[in-house]
Amino acid sequence: MRLVGKPVSKGVVIGEVLLYEPFKATPVVTYIEKSNVEQAVRAYEETRARAKAELDELEARMLERDPDKAAIIYAHREILLDPAMDEEIRNLIQNDLMSPDAAIDQTYSTYIMVLGKSKNEMMRERASDLRDVKTRLLRCWAGEKEQNLSSLEKPVIVVADDLYPSDTVSLDRENVLGIVTQVGGATSHTAIIARSYEIPAVLGIPNAMTKLTAGEQVVLDAVTGEVITGSGEEELAAYRAKAEKVKAELLETKTYLATEPVTTDGRHISVRLNVAAANDHELSGAEYADGCGLFRTEFLYLNGDHLPTEDEQYETYKKVLEAFGDKPVILRTMDIGGDKQLDRLELPKEDNPFLGIRGLRLSLVRPELFRAQIRAALRASVHGNLRIMMPMVGALDEIRKAKAFIAEQGAALDAEGIPWNHEVPVGIMIEVPSVALIADLVADEVDFVSVGTNDLTQYLCAADRMNPAVKPYYQDYHPGVFRMLGHIAKTFGAAGKPVSVCGELGGDTLAIPVLVGLGIDKLSMGLASMAAAKRVIRGLNMDEARALAEEVKNMKTETEIRARLEAFAAR
Amino acid sequence: MYSKQIKIQNKTGLHARPASEFVSQAGKFKSKIELQRVGEEDKYNAKSIIMLLSLGLAQGEEAVLYADGEDEKEAVETLADLIASFKE
Repeated sequence: MRLVGKPVSKGVVIGEVLLYEPFKATPVVTYIEKSNVEQAVRAYEETRARAKAELDELEARMLERDPDKAAIIYAHREILLDPAMDEEIRNLIQNDLMSPDAAIDQTYSTYIMVLGKSKNEMMRERASDLRDVKTRLLRCWAGEKEQNLSSLEKPVIVVADDLYPSDTVSLDRENVLGIVTQVGGATSHTAIIARSYEIPAVLGIPNAMTKLTAGEQVVLDAVTGEVITGSGEEELAAYRAKAEKVKAELLETKTYLATEPVTTDGRHISVRLNVAAANDHELSGAEYADGCGLFRTEFLYLNGDHLPTEDEQYETYKKVLEAFGDKPVILRTMDIGGDKQLDRLELPKEDNPFLGIRGLRLSLVRPELFRAQIRAALRASVHGNLRIMMPMVGALDEIRKAKAFIAEQGAALDAEGIPWNHEVPVGIMIEVPSVALIADLVADEVDFVSVGTNDLTQYLCAADRMNPAVKPYYQDYHPGVFRMLGHIAKTFGAAGKPVSVCGELGGDTLAIPVLVGLGIDKLSMGLASMAAAKRVIRGLNMDEARALAEEVKNMKTETEIRARLEAFAAR
Repeated sequence: MYSKQIKIQNKTGLHARPASEFVSQAGKFKSKIELQRVGEEDKYNAKSIIMLLSLGLAQGEEAVLYADGEDEKEAVETLADLIASFKE
């Protein structure tokens, strides 16, 4: 059997399937007979003891590997052993004759609600700890084993519906040979993680969970995007050979990391790094990059237990600026909203978050957040070569408002005698088609632009990039996307304003020749894509790139374009 | 029954690490230990992290610490000292 999906992180591996299905509790309120009370209390005590044993074991394992995680486990045990909740659960069983699982559910849910409503940030965070402990108890009650990807017994190919940040943050990188998911595409969280960990991955195989069996041996070909089951010895041998070849190829590509991205006819294409976590691994790419083309600041808001203060932001921005020395760093102001929701902002729920209050729109309605970020950025500007960029801009008045806001913060810093670089360039992301179409009118009012192709494509194609049902309509290589990119490059280029591409397309080895041919000479991408991108650029000359771009702009369908780009890459 | 009025001095209040430390100390005493915000009627089980968090004492707030049992005096004095010693 062959299952086909989208290869998002190259490689070929052979291994056993692990079906990853985290436990989902669905307790129903049931009651017990009075004569069974003692037995029910004992069953509750046993469940609690099992949960405690799990936490003890986890903590012991985490103490050496990950002290931060051990501290979380400690807090979970504290909750599990809480005498007040324990008493309440016992009362519900003994007096109200509730079954233990219902009693656990009711007690925990009450406190989750109480803490969740608190005005205090840290207490709301505790509600999520309570939720974890509740799930653990209910799972122990159901007699199911814990499934997590942080410490696996043996090497496996993980097959899941989808992986969440909580699954991947502690991923056992040694034992996860490959990843297969039912949902998700090249721009999903799982794809980004798989590439950064260099784990072969194929995403978007519907029914993978039902078609594959736990423990069976499969081949994961994340070059063609296939999962192959039931291979004979001969086929396996062939795939083993392919695995070696692909590995060697990837290793060779890696040697391009430190080379200069220059075309065969001598044109330097600026290859920049996308920064999304600002950790040491990511920033180690700074020396191979011509700067940071996209410094995503969302992680500051999404991680941690509180909104980042101005000082915390300043420290992070300073760290990133210093890592890049005098190379440019484009800081993108917070792009919350859309698929990146933040509960603690308590924003009204929207039916269409991708078309709602996100990016700069959010910054403008929450000026206290925007103020802290801009002040932190401007203060950090003395430590490097900073540029500020706003996401989700649709019209000129938004740009003017944002620039006025930045100027206001700068004036306030001046008044306080705090130094900052008064020449910080200010630009925008091009994601909304309306602003791309008025490029000539916008060019005068921005210092630079960068195209976010993931969102531009989703808005151009009117296809939600998180909705697997419309995946066929979300076309990375839609001729309209390339025409739009051509228009953007030409118009801003004519006005002398730098244009870069920082979306997924910027690091896509098939698309790079077209982008270069369209006149885009700045590409920004994740560290994992950089070596391969440089390799493509070093094999390219400008004439053939321009010819290819012209050709592609006049092709009729995505299928046709993809075939042409694949043929070009294999030339 | 032994009691003492206390005032929260540290910035975090009785949350996070301080609350955790308080509960683990309180758990070492045999007495029943409770906390009550000054001016309110409800008493909270001070051996419970969840109760303590629900009470949510912040910096500058005053509360009464109660203990009832064989080691009540020692419990109240030790825990009152602990609260006064919180820095973060």
